[in-house]
Amino acid sequence: MAAGEILAVMGPSGSGKSTLLHCLAGILVPDSGQVLFAGGRIDTLPEAQRSALRRDRFGFVFQFGQLVPELTAEENVALPLLLGGMRRDQALSRARAWFARLGLDGLERRRSGELSGGQAQRVALARGLVAEPDVVFADEPTGSLDSLAGEQVMELLSNAAREQGTTVVLVTHDPRVAAYADREIVVRDGKVTVLTVAGAS
Amino acid sequence: MLRLGLRLTVSGGRDALVRLAIIAAAVAIGVGLLVTAISGINATNAQNGRYAWLETGFASDSYAPPVAVAGDDQPSDPLWWSLRRDTFDGEDIGRVDVAATGPRSPVPPGFDAVPGPGQLYASPAMAELLRTTPADQLGDRYGATLVGTIGPAGLATPGILLVVVGHRVDELADGPYATLVDNISTASPSECGGDCGAGFGINAEGISLILGVVGAALLFPVLICIGSATRLSAARREQRFAAMRLVGATPRQVAVLSAVESAAAATVGTVAGFGVFWLLRPAVATIPFTGARFYTSDLSLGLLQAALVAVGVPVAATVAARLALRRVQISPLGVTRRATPPRPQAWRVLPLLAGVAELSWFAVVGRPDTSQGQMAAYLPGILLIMAGLVIAGPWLTMAGARLMARRTGRPAVLIAGRRLSDNPQAGFRAISGLILALFVGSGAVATITTVVGSARTPGPDGAMVVQRSFHPEPLALGVLDPVAAIPGVVGVTVIYTAPKTSAVTNQGPPPGLVSCAELARTPSLGRCPPGAEVVAIEPQIGHSVIAGASSQADAVWPVADLPVEALAALPVDMVLVDNDGSTAVIEQVRTALQMALPQRFGPETVDEANLHGTRELGQYQQLANVVIASSLAIAGCSLAVSVAAGLSERKRPFSLLRLTGVPLAMLRRIVVLETVVPLLVTAVVAAGSGFLAAQLFVRAQMDRTLQLPGPSYYLVVLAGLVVSLAVISSTFPLLDRITGPEATRND
Repeated sequence: MAAGEILAVMGPSGSGKSTLLHCLAGILVPDSGQVLFAGGRIDTLPEAQRSALRRDRFGFVFQFGQLVPELTAEENVALPLLLGGMRRDQALSRARAWFARLGLDGLERRRSGELSGGQAQRVALARGLVAEPDVVFADEPTGSLDSLAGEQVMELLSNAAREQGTTVVLVTHDPRVAAYADREIVVRDGKVTVLTVAGAS
Repeated sequence: MLRLGLRLTVSGGRDALVRLAIIAAAVAIGVGLLVTAISGINATNAQNGRYAWLETGFASDSYAPPVAVAGDDQPSDPLWWSLRRDTFDGEDIGRVDVAATGPRSPVPPGFDAVPGPGQLYASPAMAELLRTTPADQLGDRYGATLVGTIGPAGLATPGILLVVVGHRVDELADGPYATLVDNISTASPSECGGDCGAGFGINAEGISLILGVVGAALLFPVLICIGSATRLSAARREQRFAAMRLVGATPRQVAVLSAVESAAAATVGTVAGFGVFWLLRPAVATIPFTGARFYTSDLSLGLLQAALVAVGVPVAATVAARLALRRVQISPLGVTRRATPPRPQAWRVLPLLAGVAELSWFAVVGRPDTSQGQMAAYLPGILLIMAGLVIAGPWLTMAGARLMARRTGRPAVLIAGRRLSDNPQAGFRAISGLILALFVGSGAVATITTVVGSARTPGPDGAMVVQRSFHPEPLALGVLDPVAAIPGVVGVTVIYTAPKTSAVTNQGPPPGLVSCAELARTPSLGRCPPGAEVVAIEPQIGHSVIAGASSQADAVWPVADLPVEALAALPVDMVLVDNDGSTAVIEQVRTALQMALPQRFGPETVDEANLHGTRELGQYQQLANVVIASSLAIAGCSLAVSVAAGLSERKRPFSLLRLTGVPLAMLRRIVVLETVVPLLVTAVVAAGSGFLAAQLFVRAQMDRTLQLPGPSYYLVVLAGLVVSLAVISSTFPLLDRITGPEATRND
């Protein structure tokens, strides 16, 4: 995949989409095959190094429930920066910049329980992008949202990724979500069966 | 519905079984402690009741002329009775001299008949002592032959040292402290406050109160633990109940299901608790919280008490479990309302401050004069501080956590601080039992240390034997010669009661007179001015005068205007025998003094007199240490349970954080910060409050400065904390398991 490219991974439930994403993100080690990132294999790295890679180079957006309930929205967004050792005021200031960008003005001090599903997902999106990762792994990022909120989230994700030059690996079973991707693959029974390029079909 | 509830209870999966096991274990510990405390109160009363016959001849049981009662052919023959108290190597000995005036004389418990003249009966421990000790150190005190042992009915404690000596009537009637009685007392020593007769037995009400407090202090953390365990995996249970509501179960039926779960666990726990008590009983019997060990059979429960515990505890546990879930209402579509507790307000510190202010007031103005007034002064202050600590706890937790979270840049501190400040009640609940136990324990240990410490000033002449004369009269000529003749005796000093006319100072009559020749042999009591023959003296030994013999060594006593020859005609106040300090010589001196100058209370060494009464205090200190260590360990269990519950609640965000590269060590730091910080802060605050209350108390009551406890207290606290931390760290594998990448689904 090229930098800034968006790849959609599609397939029915239980086909192995999430397992593939876990292998690509260094969460799981594949039984066979290789995972290459920036010219090096990551599937042979020890867990500590893969953790560091996930923390420093990758971002994640999941379907729901990823915000730490005790923290405010801005603290949730600042969390990856704090984990990277940035000072609190700097981290919060960078986190706040994302709120205007994602249409979340005024929600900085809300807790996750005080946000709607779409708002919480946009906060999670900001958290996935705030550290300007090389790759964002998004697993059904719109799965728990209605179609309008889902479209908003995908617009924001694709725009932000293209602006930052961030590569996105997107797991979804929704063709409307997959339409935001440059390329898409279909997984069936654990095997990649179809590879299409946007505009080619 | 009950059958369904039971089936769900045992088939609710691993989480449900763990929750039930924790509730059952907590109930078992609680029942074990409760039953032990109740049986301790029963044991104290049983033991005290067996001391009753040693009260014979005192109070209402003293002799009244025999009166024929209708239906009774003849009044009984009265019994001559003399009770004294003696010592051997620091241990108290009870001595009863008896002489029957006829065949119908009353017989003490443990005897078939009143011992005849020259016969001596001893408790098993005393009989063994008589057999293994040379007669001139012990046996000669009684002038009788050991013919048998006292039966179990007459033995208050397993190790009691007791002798009953038979006499002829004419011999005992003229003997010391002899009185005629027509019945054997059955009145418990509690009825005269434990201070009647020769002071055998205790006031059991005090011990019962202390055991009640100990039981409550330990039960409170256990109840907290039950409440915490009920909340374990609450979310999954609520889902199950919601599913039942969906298929038509009424709220009442769901409540019954939930109650059956708790009651089943509590019933298992109650049975196990009785088992725990049964196993602990022999060990508990050896704890001398009345000053003496118990028979194992003393630690028993009445039928009604056992029934109350067996029924009451499961009911209480069920109610506690129901209360823990009261904020949740289960609808067919899931949990519809979860009430958030209101934020604690700053007024919560007021009761605590009021309690401290109340005790401070008496520390400044001094104690009230009467003991009732003192009780009324201190008790409200101490209770206010205890209630104040519990009331202020959540606010203090919130304030501390907010401070912690406000400025930090560390994610672990931020998350832990926010969680604590979000629901400080939950954070504090797990340790609120600990705070009370540690407050009471630390306060008690520090107060006891101060009282015992100020009494323990053994002087260089701690082995000097002192016989007080309780009915002063002149000594017969040469009566003390056998004492002076014992090898190892350095000198015999007699202090005489001064006649009222011999005042030498204008501060009132001096209490004692001593010849300068004898005083020179006991330099620790001070000295005479040059050329003096007799001086007025006030020896300070034992009782409330704590100064100790050594502090008087520099005293120069005022000259008394009396020739030394006149002393022999004066009544004797006290005899002091300086000696080489060996046990053999001390006991020989004691035996000789008993024969020369028989008194209700036998001779004591200076150390024994000074330490009198502090031994029981030392045992209370042990009890306080047990309370501290147990409550710390139980608080650790409560904390571990609430950690596990907190982890289950946040399983998803935590596991997703870990997926995104957050190291497991940071998640562990969050857990540690959420639990260890409140635990340590609470321990410090509770112990500090306990010490502060103790300081205010000893300042007001005794005008002293608090002595901090010795190393054993700190070791106990440290050991308890280490156990708590070990229990908390036992949840780490759970954290590892539930947040592992393999266990997580993102969708």
